[in-house]
Amino acid sequence: MKLIDRYIAEVGKRLSLVKGRADIEKELRSTLEDMLEDRAQKAGKSADEAREIELLKEYGTPDQVAATYDPHPYLIGPRMYPFFIKILQIVFFAIAIAFAVTTGIEIVTQAPTLAGREFVRAIGHGLGGIISAAVAAFGNIVLIFAILERVVPNKEFKLDDEKEWDPASLMKEPEPTEVKPWEAILSIVFIFIALSIFNFNSQILGIYTFADDQWISVPVLSDAFFRWLPLMNIAWVAEIILYGLLLRSGRWDLPTRLVSIGIKIFQVVIAYLLFIGPSIFAVTTESLSLGGHLDPEAVKILGAIAQHGSPILMGFIIFVTIIDIIKTVYKLITQRSNS
Amino acid sequence: MANNESLDNVVLELRRGVIVLAVLSQLNGEQYGYSLLKLLSDQGLEVDQGTLYPLLRRLETQGLLESVWKLEEARPRRYYVISAEGKKLLPKLKKEWAGIVSTMEKMLA
Repeated sequence: MKLIDRYIAEVGKRLSLVKGRADIEKELRSTLEDMLEDRAQKAGKSADEAREIELLKEYGTPDQVAATYDPHPYLIGPRMYPFFIKILQIVFFAIAIAFAVTTGIEIVTQAPTLAGREFVRAIGHGLGGIISAAVAAFGNIVLIFAILERVVPNKEFKLDDEKEWDPASLMKEPEPTEVKPWEAILSIVFIFIALSIFNFNSQILGIYTFADDQWISVPVLSDAFFRWLPLMNIAWVAEIILYGLLLRSGRWDLPTRLVSIGIKIFQVVIAYLLFIGPSIFAVTTESLSLGGHLDPEAVKILGAIAQHGSPILMGFIIFVTIIDIIKTVYKLITQRSNS
Repeated sequence: MANNESLDNVVLELRRGVIVLAVLSQLNGEQYGYSLLKLLSDQGLEVDQGTLYPLLRRLETQGLLESVWKLEEARPRRYYVISAEGKKLLPKLKKEWAGIVSTMEKMLA
C-alpha cells in the first residue's frame, strides 16, 4: 500500500486550503482500498503493486483528484465577477481623472519652461503614471476579491439575477437607507484622487510663486503628515471597499453602518495623532521668504496659519467626524426601531 | 474528431444534470462511496469517482445527505444516507424530472 499512501499524501498536499482535508484523505484511502480489493478479487489475484499502479493511473493524477474537491477552482467566481468588473471600471476611471488632474497641474505650473519635447515628456510621464497606477490598482483589487471570494459565504453574496426584482420599485420614493450610485461612485473617485495625490504626487502640494521665468514651489505638508499616511491609506482603502459594497447593495444596512462607524472612529484616531503631534504643515515664514518673491505680508499670514493651523484643522476634523459618527449611530437606531 | 468531442461534452453535461437525482434516489439506505458507485453502475449510470465524491460532500453541506464513519472489515468507511430535508426534496425532483422527460419526448418525437 506504499503507493496509495504516497498518492494520498500528494493529493493532501494540494488540498491544504480545502476544508475537511483529513476527512477527504480518509475517504480517498477507503475508496482506493475498496477498489483495489475488488479488482484483485475479480482477477483472482493479490493486490500487488502492479495493480496499485493500474488503479492509481485510472483514478487520475493527484492534481486532477485534488481539483475536484476545490470549492473555488477560480480566482474570482461568477458571483463576485460582475461586482469586480464594476469596481474595476470605477477605479480605472478615477485613476484616469486623478492623473489628468495631476498632469494638468504639472503642465500648467511648469508651462513657461515646457516646450516641445518637455511638453510631450510631461504627457508621457502622466500616461506612464496612469498605466503603472492601473496595474497596481488591478493587482490590489484582484487580491481583495480573491480573498472575498473565499471568505464571504455564498448566501451573503448572490448574483443580481438571483435577486427578486419588482418593477414597481421604480415608482418608489427614495428611502433613507438608499444609497445613490453616483454618490458612492463620486466618493470612490475622490478617495482615489486623494490616494493618488498623497501617495504618488505629493510634490504638487505646494505654494507656487512665479518668478524669473520659472515656478518656485514650497512644500505644504510636513513629514509629520506623511508619517501617518499608511494609516490614512488603510482608512481610504476601507472606505473604497465600503462604498463598493454600498454600490452593489444599493442601501445602508447594519453591517455597512457598523463598518462606516468603525472607519470614522479610526479616522478620529488618526486625526488625534496628528493633533497631538508636530504641525502637518511644512510651510514656515523662513521657507516662504527664501525665494523672496512673495509679499512679506502674505508670508507673515501664511506662516502664522501654518504654525497654528495644524491643531485647529485637526480639532475641526475630529469634531466634524464625531458629529458624523453620532449621526450614523442615530440613523442606525432609528432605522432599527422602525424596522 | 471534433464532432466526437462535442458529443462527449454534451453527453457529459446531460449526465451531470441527472446525477444529483440518481444519487438521492439511491440513498434511502446507507451506502458508502464505492458501493454507491457500483450501485449506480449496475443500473447503467456510470459516474466518475472524481464527480461522485465531491458531489456527496456538497449534498451533505447542503443538508440533503447525512454521513457517518463506520469501521467495517478493518477499514473505516463513510456511509451516506438521504436526510429528512433530502427526503422532502426528492419527490419534487422526481416530479420535475418526469415533466422534463415528458416535454423532451414530445419535442423529440
